[in-house]
Amino acid sequence: MNHSLAMKSVLIIGIQGALAKITAELLIKKNSNIKIHGVDSRDIDNVPSRPQLTYQQMKYTRTNFEKIFREFQFDTILHLGRLGHSPAMGNINKRIDINLVGTNTILELAQKFQCKKVVILSTHHVYGALSDNSMFLKEDSPLRGSFKYAELRDVVEMDQMCTNWMWKNQNSIETVVLRPCNIIGPQIKNSITQFLKTPYAPLPVDYNPMFQFVHEFDMANIIVDSAEKLKTGIYNVAGDDVITLHEAAKIINVKKLKVPIVVVEQLAKILTPVWKFPHYLIDYLKYPSTLDNSELKKNLGDDIFRFTAIEALELLKSH
Amino acid sequence: MFKQFKAIEADLSLRYSKNRDPWGLEPKRAIADLKVIWPFYHYYFNVVVHGKENVKDRPYMVVSNHTGQVPIDGLLICTAFATEIDSPRILRPLIERFLTSLPFLGRWSSEGGAVLGDRTNCLNLLKRGESVLIFPEGVKGIAKNTKDHYKLQRFTRGFLRMAIASGSEILPIAVVGAEEFFPYVIHLKKLAHFFKIPAFPLSANLFPLPSPVDIYIGEPYSLPSGLSPEALDEDLDFYLNEIEQKIQQLTQNGLKNRRSLMKRKK
Repeated sequence: MNHSLAMKSVLIIGIQGALAKITAELLIKKNSNIKIHGVDSRDIDNVPSRPQLTYQQMKYTRTNFEKIFREFQFDTILHLGRLGHSPAMGNINKRIDINLVGTNTILELAQKFQCKKVVILSTHHVYGALSDNSMFLKEDSPLRGSFKYAELRDVVEMDQMCTNWMWKNQNSIETVVLRPCNIIGPQIKNSITQFLKTPYAPLPVDYNPMFQFVHEFDMANIIVDSAEKLKTGIYNVAGDDVITLHEAAKIINVKKLKVPIVVVEQLAKILTPVWKFPHYLIDYLKYPSTLDNSELKKNLGDDIFRFTAIEALELLKSH
Repeated sequence: MFKQFKAIEADLSLRYSKNRDPWGLEPKRAIADLKVIWPFYHYYFNVVVHGKENVKDRPYMVVSNHTGQVPIDGLLICTAFATEIDSPRILRPLIERFLTSLPFLGRWSSEGGAVLGDRTNCLNLLKRGESVLIFPEGVKGIAKNTKDHYKLQRFTRGFLRMAIASGSEILPIAVVGAEEFFPYVIHLKKLAHFFKIPAFPLSANLFPLPSPVDIYIGEPYSLPSGLSPEALDEDLDFYLNEIEQKIQQLTQNGLKNRRSLMKRKK
């Protein structure tokens, strides 16, 4: 189904995020008659000034969401508002509230207000980084992200909640769950981008796992394409090329402290106040968690990525 | 030796791109490792390869007996396929998850071509035209006490299902001479269990003895095209037994002509 012409009123959750802003710009570029309303629980700034785009900061409560659902009559929901896990990201209650309770409310309201499409941005972290991971995990691989790290529990549960809901309501609403690899770009401020760009961040000398990167612009494009063209389902988002952690660090060309992983682990604990690196990401510096992209390419075509992983890293370096 | 490696390097560079593949193989690094391993392969373990003519320029599922307490036999087979075969290649040994989790060793092995031994990886590698090396005896193959040397352990059926699914030919291999690296050994299974490691061999010598090694490559074995990868175990056992017997036969023939420490090839 081509949903592009039908997309009239879009809700973007997490509009303060760089990816959400780029996605909003792309949607407006594609359809100047579109109406987009962005919400975020964080302070909102630097949102592009476009007549088609309105936004508001609000608590993710049912009352607040119901109010905007009634007012804007959304046909499409882009849920890009998952909270990350950096120790600086606040307490666990707030995170669970946003990632689980908030998402549940949004899904219920999407159904109640007869939205046509819901796109949910999950993450490859749901698969976990384990020593026995196959290269190229398919969408039906077990979600083992929270086996070792309780801090990933809400991420895995949110993904599972969305996919369960997706299949249950597939006859009334199209839902797409995207599980992207590492999103990088000059505007993105996620943990892996910060890690790569931080001088003297410790890099394990005894491990060198394979990584996949998707440029923020490509990711935003895929979110738009998902809203327009993808049918109900779960899709991994990753390019064809994989690159090792050490190669990625070399391209970024920022000096790193090369130490054994045990030292990285201790530094991550000691330096928590100044080095905002989620502890679970240590495992991603040891073991691969790479994605099979065949399902996405089967549905969107082979030429969906403008930037290779190396080009995305080069662009990050130049900024 | 330098000249020989120049030729091998040229051959392998032609076959592999300079970049890593998705499983982490770094061809330049693998070739550099070969240069270090080769003197041990040639002078110390005095390896002789029999049946080179059975290897053609196409991907195989290379299936071998597993001997010698530590997987040196895998290193020697890989070195043989990279340096002595007409169409040299970097074999992709499928290794235990225990190895991939180890610091330094996991990184070194994947840069040299080793891959976590699971079905998805194996099928994807074969699909890309790579040859994989499998030890279907698993850890049981190398974790043997002295009295069990050269006794083939029961093969698992997973490799057979993967060969059927990928339509690959199986190349049977027997390594003779590797059990003598550590001639007197006992296995402390309880300690292995306690330390959560696959095996805990206790040997009279810490460094492998310079036992001469013979690698026997059998004729390729094709499975019937009508066989399903989801066939019942009972339907696969006939083929499993045939492959086991072929490797057992190669081993027995090798043992008859086994070279002693004194009978090294000049």
